[in-house]
Amino acid sequence: MLFFYLFLKTESRGLDEIGYPVKIFLEFDPLISLTTMLANRSLSGISYLFLFTLLITFFLGRVFCGWACPLGFLNDLVGKIKNGFKSEKKWFALKYYLLFFTLSGSLFSLQLSGFFDPISFLIRSLTVFLYPFVVFIFHAFIDLLYSLSFLRSFADCLYDFLKEIFLPARPSYFYQSSFIGALFIFILGLNLLEKRFWCKHLCPLGALLGLVSFLPIVRRRVKENCTSCYKCTHNCTGGLDIKKKKWFVSECIECFECERICSEGSILRGGKSKELRVNLERRAFFLSVFFGGIMVPIMRLNPRSGERQFNPRLIRPPGSVEESEFLRRCIRCGECMKVCPTGGLQPSFMESGIEGIWTPILIPKIGYCEFSCTMCGQVCPVGAIKKLSREEKKRTKIGLAFIDKNRCLPYAFGISCIVCEEVCPTPKKAIFLEEGEFITLTGKKRKVKLPKVDPQLCVGCGICEAKCPVSDFSAIYVTSAQESRSEKKRLLFEIFS
Amino acid sequence: MERRNFLKTLLFGFFTLSLDRFHSFSSEPNSYPDLVVVTGYPPERLVDTAILALGGMKRFVSRGDTVVVKPNIAWDRTPEMAANTNPYVVAEIVKLCYEAGAKVVKVLDRSVNDPRRCYIQSGIEKLALAQGAKVIYPDEKKFKKVEIKGEFLRSWEVWTEVLEADKIINVPIAKHHSLARLTMSIKNWMGVLGGFRGLIHQRLDDSLVDIAAFMRPTLTVLDAIRILVRGGPQGGDLRDVLQTNTIIAGTDQVAVDAYGCTLFGIRPENVRYIKKAAERGLGKMDIARMRIRKLTI
Repeated sequence: MLFFYLFLKTESRGLDEIGYPVKIFLEFDPLISLTTMLANRSLSGISYLFLFTLLITFFLGRVFCGWACPLGFLNDLVGKIKNGFKSEKKWFALKYYLLFFTLSGSLFSLQLSGFFDPISFLIRSLTVFLYPFVVFIFHAFIDLLYSLSFLRSFADCLYDFLKEIFLPARPSYFYQSSFIGALFIFILGLNLLEKRFWCKHLCPLGALLGLVSFLPIVRRRVKENCTSCYKCTHNCTGGLDIKKKKWFVSECIECFECERICSEGSILRGGKSKELRVNLERRAFFLSVFFGGIMVPIMRLNPRSGERQFNPRLIRPPGSVEESEFLRRCIRCGECMKVCPTGGLQPSFMESGIEGIWTPILIPKIGYCEFSCTMCGQVCPVGAIKKLSREEKKRTKIGLAFIDKNRCLPYAFGISCIVCEEVCPTPKKAIFLEEGEFITLTGKKRKVKLPKVDPQLCVGCGICEAKCPVSDFSAIYVTSAQESRSEKKRLLFEIFS
Repeated sequence: MERRNFLKTLLFGFFTLSLDRFHSFSSEPNSYPDLVVVTGYPPERLVDTAILALGGMKRFVSRGDTVVVKPNIAWDRTPEMAANTNPYVVAEIVKLCYEAGAKVVKVLDRSVNDPRRCYIQSGIEKLALAQGAKVIYPDEKKFKKVEIKGEFLRSWEVWTEVLEADKIINVPIAKHHSLARLTMSIKNWMGVLGGFRGLIHQRLDDSLVDIAAFMRPTLTVLDAIRILVRGGPQGGDLRDVLQTNTIIAGTDQVAVDAYGCTLFGIRPENVRYIKKAAERGLGKMDIARMRIRKLTI
């Protein structure tokens, strides 16, 4: 429950600092920490909270899965609808192979855990799909109330109240929402086949914790008076095999359901327990490691990852590390997108190849980068976006603005407009105005102010593109040229030399 | 009711109404100045003095009124950058409104940057809340398309809270503006408009006069504690800020703006929207013909 509270709190409230973002869950997540360390061969940017999770798991078993994991909680909820029980114990091994696959990928410098890690998966699904989905419905409902004039004051009250507790100050909607949402619903839907299907058969984090749970303090045995009613097996979310009267230690998530449900009281704690281990085949192990490695070329075959070719619209959040390291770190959890006050951070599609799918990019037309805001760096759990101070942030270039004179009102039509200059946030404005003349159809000369960009001062925040009155393709637009993090994209010689 | 009684009541009613009219006509123009200009420190006392010289807040706000106080909270800037109205000035006006018996005082502006950031960085949210104001964030749902009936701007989305208010007090800050030359009280009305305001810049001066004619504030208090002389309207560089420690207050928004021009060494007739507003009869522009009360504390 704490997770969902924190999720809602991961929103800009106008302050410079964010209290406790939901990233704390990701910091406790050993899978993410491990793959990030492996892929980068470095310890930087990692919180050591994950060691605590490992330690607890070592002594207590997979309590994280049973008592802390928010996706597990959701799985349980959905599983309550219908408990189509099919225990396919031999599938347990699947998640271990997925784990090896993920780890092997990161050994070869590929960050795959973002796709499979449950916490990352959940935060992304909530941010991009579920939360906007619910917000949309509420807004539609309130709009309906507003349209009925006699309910106006009631709608006012209700709306203010909902904004206080639940609704965002400004709703953000995201690209690929339905796609990411479909995956989410699919994973939750698997619970109808079998309760906690994900946890039992797919979750690589569960597998990792299963491998670590060596010395569970809680051990169980079955008393002689067991009537073999199988009630416990039906409700088991993990590793009970009542026929053999044995437990898979690595699968038990310590939910204590079996003890609670047993009418005979035949399941007891303590004593000598009989333990089972999941059988892992050597062949499958090597195969999954092999596939993890082979993913590197599969995901990186991309003409635009070269030295001088880059996607001009690949504008990363401020404080992002250099692109190849960024891809090795980013787990696509979407926290930066959740916290972005303008909603401009969106999940990318193919801008940086398959490897970069769902990583954050700024789309200025949807929302610009707020000049003094440092939220995205504060919530990033893996150091893909560095935490910047306010002053550092103001110096960080994420791109450069270009004016399209063929579309710009004063240049193209002789119409006065200084909107880009007005909103430009740098202390010495990066957009300046020059007096110019425009010759009209009838040959008359008209004085206009022409905006120009200073490439030294521009930080590429994109507010000019967002607010430009030419609303189809803005007459001023930002590309990722000259971003601070990359030497490859330099445009001006003097800035770097 | 009998016909005779009805007529009597009617007659009496007209009589009292006309008395009231007579009363207000006789007292107002003679006793109060057109403009009050107060210089000194601190901001709160400047506001108090200015309002008192105009006859006290009770002249403008009646018991039970819903008052909208409209500062400039457009930018994500701290007060010393002079991009937003001085928070102490705003808070003091809120306080005076409540003392005059206002039912509720609402403080609002449609910011250009993220409103949550602007409201906090400007310091206005905190100080206004401390005085009991209702601080309202802009929200698309709270704007309604209405007939402005201007010469250029026919209709536009306007904030419903502003439309429904009994009294409106405009509390702008005096700043340089790259298109309009200066932004003071008339330009401050941009913050009650919804929709896509970028379009308005194409005919800014005409539109501003239309909006000013539509709004007609009860009172205008121009904050010139710090003024932004370059790089406006957003600023961000302390070298562009001038400490002038002045408050200009009056009921005529054109007169306030005209006097505000003098702080920048600009003649009011050279600011197009002020000239147009005066020509349209929205107020006086000729400083020599205003009755100005200058005070220093």
